Amino acid sequence: MGGLEHATPGILLTIACAAVILFVQLRRATRRGDHFIRRIAGVDAVEGAIGRCAEMGRPVAFTTALTDVGPVLYACLGVLHSVAKRVAQYKLKLVVPQYSPEAMAIVEDSVRDAYNDAGRGAAFDPQSIVFLSSEQFAFASGYMGLIHREKAGAAFLFGVFAAEALVLAEAGQQVGARQVAASVSPEQVAFFICTCDYTLIGEELFAASAYLSREPVQVATLAAQDRVKLLFAAIIVVGVLLATLGALAPGITLPSIERFFTASWSDLL
Amino acid sequence: MSERQPIDRRAQVIRAFTLLGGVYFFLYFILPETAAESLGIKARHEAISNGFIVIGAMAVGLGLFNLVSAHGSRIAFARKGWAYSLALLVGLFSMLAVTAAQWRQSLGITAEARKAQIVGEFAQRIVQDAESHAAAPALAVRAAALRAYADGLLDQIGATLLVGPPAETPLGIELRAAAASLRGSLPRLEAVPGESLSPEGKGALTDVGRAGELLSAALGAFLRQESSSTMVQQLYTLLYEGLFNQLGSAMFALLGVYIAAAAFRAFRIRTVESALMMAAALIVMLGQISLGQLISDELPAMRQWLLEVPNSAAFRAIRLGASVAALMLAIRMWLSIESGSFSSRKR
Repeated sequence: MGGLEHATPGILLTIACAAVILFVQLRRATRRGDHFIRRIAGVDAVEGAIGRCAEMGRPVAFTTALTDVGPVLYACLGVLHSVAKRVAQYKLKLVVPQYSPEAMAIVEDSVRDAYNDAGRGAAFDPQSIVFLSSEQFAFASGYMGLIHREKAGAAFLFGVFAAEALVLAEAGQQVGARQVAASVSPEQVAFFICTCDYTLIGEELFAASAYLSREPVQVATLAAQDRVKLLFAAIIVVGVLLATLGALAPGITLPSIERFFTASWSDLL
Repeated sequence: MSERQPIDRRAQVIRAFTLLGGVYFFLYFILPETAAESLGIKARHEAISNGFIVIGAMAVGLGLFNLVSAHGSRIAFARKGWAYSLALLVGLFSMLAVTAAQWRQSLGITAEARKAQIVGEFAQRIVQDAESHAAAPALAVRAAALRAYADGLLDQIGATLLVGPPAETPLGIELRAAAASLRGSLPRLEAVPGESLSPEGKGALTDVGRAGELLSAALGAFLRQESSSTMVQQLYTLLYEGLFNQLGSAMFALLGVYIAAAAFRAFRIRTVESALMMAAALIVMLGQISLGQLISDELPAMRQWLLEVPNSAAFRAIRLGASVAALMLAIRMWLSIESGSFSSRKR
């Protein structure tokens, strides 16, 4: 929806539907808590990778790469919190290289909370959250150096990535780290599949946090997003059918899905 | 008796600000454009958005503090890798110092060019005020003031800049021409009458305005050329264009090697999926080059189909799923419906 400054009535209605679905699912989850989450191998691998680090005595690296403050960062923080808690319990070293100084402050808070939750608040080292650079390839070279020097046993690459994705993932490969990646950037998914042990694709990144924590609010959000996706799938199917019918029978005037989303208030009034 | 939970004021403040900020942007998004304009929100929106960006920019200080504290302590305690930290901090402070000096120098150039720009803006303003009958001093008084200011500026440029070898460079000649053009248009200001604006007076002011803008552009270009030979600018060029950009390019170039290494691993056929991926990759690669056309005329069309149909469908599915998930999380974050997703503090 890039470039859309003001919502059209159709988009507003869709957002309202999404919000209603979310609230219904939240209510259901907090009352009954009976949502099922399918197994996600990549998320299961997170535990295994940390365990491997404990056996080998090597540090764990977690990066949110180019992710700025926004929904994707918060999705990553859910996973980071679980990883940091486990790292604290196993008395391992955690390194969290940072690209965005804004995100860094939030990340630091989240890791500190995780150590406190694990009952090892005193073991938290603020210097484990390392700001590298806000320049894409300076960050990438800093990450490579860090991973090589620390000889990370596991590397988690979660968030938004661009051309530096392969550089980061190859650095982990070179030191033999177990790598789990999750990206909402479809262009980078292929690189991660080639270089990482497990890759979470697109929305699986958002599901990972719910899967790890089984926390009702997050599970409800996951259930709600599945239902909203179903809604969109239904709209797509209806749109395709209407467009096909319109092409087959040009004389018949059919409602247009495109017009439903693009018509402005002044078109309606 | 149950124990009362302490109130987390910090969390309350954060939640209140999140909610209020979200309310503003949500209302701006849902309001029709005409309503946003009539309420005056549209005119202020850019300033409000810039305010949020400024708050975000303050976080750069956090990054700087983190760098200095992490690497400074490593150097102070001579920990492993302290030499790398030293190189980083030396680079950081050198770049900071040189960039600050270069920024100061460019501020000076902008201020000098602005002096000439004022001539153009003043001339335009006189015309606007006269046409809208705004309360202002008499036209002839303002025209005389404009002429006196422009004369003073031209004398200053002539005495300080249009002397010596730099004045004979192409940009120096251009500056001389722009100054001569302004000087030539100034006597026409005498045609500006005392009370109402005549067509001749308007023409004279418009010409002076244009000449002032031209002089501003020529002056800026000339001063930038002059500053390029200063030590500060040369250091900046060396550090930024000679080192920083080149190192970035070198990192980017590494991608070529890594893609080959990753492709080698990915193209080992172990499963049906990897066989499919290998076949698709072969078609796309061969369809891209002329050799592919030699093998089969169908290859480029097959490549195009693979990219436009299955590939686009997969991309769109990933994007749709991620966008829906982001929307849900955004609503949740906005309304602070959190109970331990990235922090187990009681909310």
